[in-house]
Amino acid sequence: MNVPVAHFLVVAVMLFAIGSVGVLVRRNALVIFMSIELQLNAVNLALVAFSRMHGRLDGQVLAFFSMVVAAAEVVVGLAIIVVVYRRRRSADVDDVSLLRW
Amino acid sequence: MLDTIWLVPALPFAGAAINLFAGRRLGRLAGWLGVLVVAASFGLSLWLFADLVALPGDERLAVQHVFDWIEVGSFSANVNLRVDPLSMTMLLVVTGIASLIHVYSIGYMEADPRFGRFFAYMNLFVGFMVILVLADNFLLLYVGWEGVGLCSYLLIGFWHERVRAANAAKKAFITTRIGDTLMLIGIVLIFLRLGSLDFGKVLTGSITQTQPSGVFTVISLLLLCGAIGKSAQIPLHVWLPDAMEGPTPVSALIHAATMVTAGVYLVARTHVFFGASGVALTVVLIVGLVTALYAATAALGQDDIKRVLAYSTISQLGFMFFALGLRHYGAAIFLLVTHAFYKALMFLGAGSVMHGLHGESDMRKMGGLRKWMPITSATFVIGVLSISGVPPFSGFFSKDQILNAANHTEHTIAWLVSLVAAFVSALYIARLVFMTFFGESRVEREPHESPPVMTVPLILLAVGATVAGLLSVDAVTGRLPTFLQPVFGEVAEPVHGLPEAVLTTISVGVALAGILVGWFVWGSGRVDWMALATRFGELKRFLASGWYVDASYARTLVPAGRLVAGFLSSGIDRRVIDGSVNAIGALVQRLAAVGRRVQTGLVRNYALGLLIGAVVLFAYVGARL
Repeated sequence: MNVPVAHFLVVAVMLFAIGSVGVLVRRNALVIFMSIELQLNAVNLALVAFSRMHGRLDGQVLAFFSMVVAAAEVVVGLAIIVVVYRRRRSADVDDVSLLRW
Repeated sequence: MLDTIWLVPALPFAGAAINLFAGRRLGRLAGWLGVLVVAASFGLSLWLFADLVALPGDERLAVQHVFDWIEVGSFSANVNLRVDPLSMTMLLVVTGIASLIHVYSIGYMEADPRFGRFFAYMNLFVGFMVILVLADNFLLLYVGWEGVGLCSYLLIGFWHERVRAANAAKKAFITTRIGDTLMLIGIVLIFLRLGSLDFGKVLTGSITQTQPSGVFTVISLLLLCGAIGKSAQIPLHVWLPDAMEGPTPVSALIHAATMVTAGVYLVARTHVFFGASGVALTVVLIVGLVTALYAATAALGQDDIKRVLAYSTISQLGFMFFALGLRHYGAAIFLLVTHAFYKALMFLGAGSVMHGLHGESDMRKMGGLRKWMPITSATFVIGVLSISGVPPFSGFFSKDQILNAANHTEHTIAWLVSLVAAFVSALYIARLVFMTFFGESRVEREPHESPPVMTVPLILLAVGATVAGLLSVDAVTGRLPTFLQPVFGEVAEPVHGLPEAVLTTISVGVALAGILVGWFVWGSGRVDWMALATRFGELKRFLASGWYVDASYARTLVPAGRLVAGFLSSGIDRRVIDGSVNAIGALVQRLAAVGRRVQTGLVRNYALGLLIGAVVLFAYVGARL
């Protein structure tokens, strides 16, 4: 059964929106990271959908790249959060606001 | 040699650079290095001279393009050096006399802690003076002009710990600056009206047809202002007597033989402009004549031996300008040459006297020095005879030419005034020599003769002062005038006036009369001149202060100048210029205070910013598509 491409795109947009809201609203660093992962997955979905639409593999290749980068970024980000948590006993991002005027 | 002219100024500059950086390590050697580069320059000048006279009379001109300097649109001023009879004459005088004075300075400045630096400055001066004299365009000439002014400032204030020396240096620089600025305006006018600054293009015989004569009047008068400042003529003469605060070799070199003659050289070089304007020449004549007489009377009232010589220089320069005003440019240059010899001689002689008396320069404390300083006395007397115009010494020939030329005009009064000036000249110099070297001795300590490194230049200069007259001796017109003819053209034949023989007798008579009176009052012992000086104290003070010119400047121009300077510095410099710069800084601070509120430190705000930015970007790109 042929699912129209538009459906995939709409899902991707909704995922991205949910992820954005999560990044902006939540205070826990880990939850923010999960939201970022949501955004990235939304993008991957969109890429694959477009790849299907044009009948070329470029989108899927790019999705692979995106996944690799996401993995690397998660490693670094979680390491930072762990260090910060050890110092401050809290994962609240509003607390790390020393780089201000 | 004609294609390595650039070496002549380059060598002294090199000497200056070495002595500036390594002078202290060289010690005594710095002096001999200074002598070496200038003597080498003189040697090269002689070689240049030989090459120049090898050319036929009409073609004696060589211009060397050393390097490109300024080429902007239609304006070009490059470093071109010009060798023609006039610049050759000046060059030989400058380098020759400078060499002798450098040798002398080794003895005179031996005890000075800044020995090396002295020679660096002296070499620097010679370099700039050579540039001035060899320049082939007005801008390069101005570079040399300002350069010698700078060196004059450095050398007058060489002993800068002395307040009087520092003030004298400032005064010299500021006074000549007034003339220099007007001269610069004149140079700008030359370019605007005549299209070029190159001598070859602008100083031709036919240039005067291209513009109305009013243009040349203005240009000449502006250039004359520069000459008046540099050559210490009225009204910008006030710096020269004070410049005697500098070491005596400086006074001899800069303020007698070379730098102060730059004004005479300038007028002679641009005689085409002056000739096109009757007004300008008349001004030159009057300025020269009045200054000659004025300075001679002022010299009569001085008690400091160097100040007498300073006013004497002003007066003799006045005679040179007088000659220029009479269109006898060759005679003016001839006087410049002979004056360089006898004035440098007398200044170095005065330095020798001061050296022997451990720094004393007041003539009232001298007297009878000839028994302790025979060489100095003998050479000085030759200088005296020369400046008075007694034959067969060189000064006679040069002064005679000028006085005779004065008679040949229709203004007899000019000739009479010049005779009076000549009489006073003989008088003041006789007074100097009798007060210093003859009569009873009023010295406090017993003096000694100077070492050979100082007396040998004196002897050489005395020889020059004696024989330089030969430069003029020729069957009809004289060797020097003939040599200078390609530059100046024919000398005007006398129109009216008394015959040559009568005139010569009169001028010699005037000279001898001056010396006779001088001997009678100050040398014979028959007149108590010390009492005379007290009785005529008012008059003496009037003369000694230079007719109170300097004092009147101090009361009028100087406060006015200070007022303007004060307004410019606190009113404009501090409030407007500093104010606007500070205001910009304050503005930036205020903007920053507003702008930095973006940096909240909260990650979520930054994330929001990112998001908004991304959205805007996509919207823009999307709309474009």
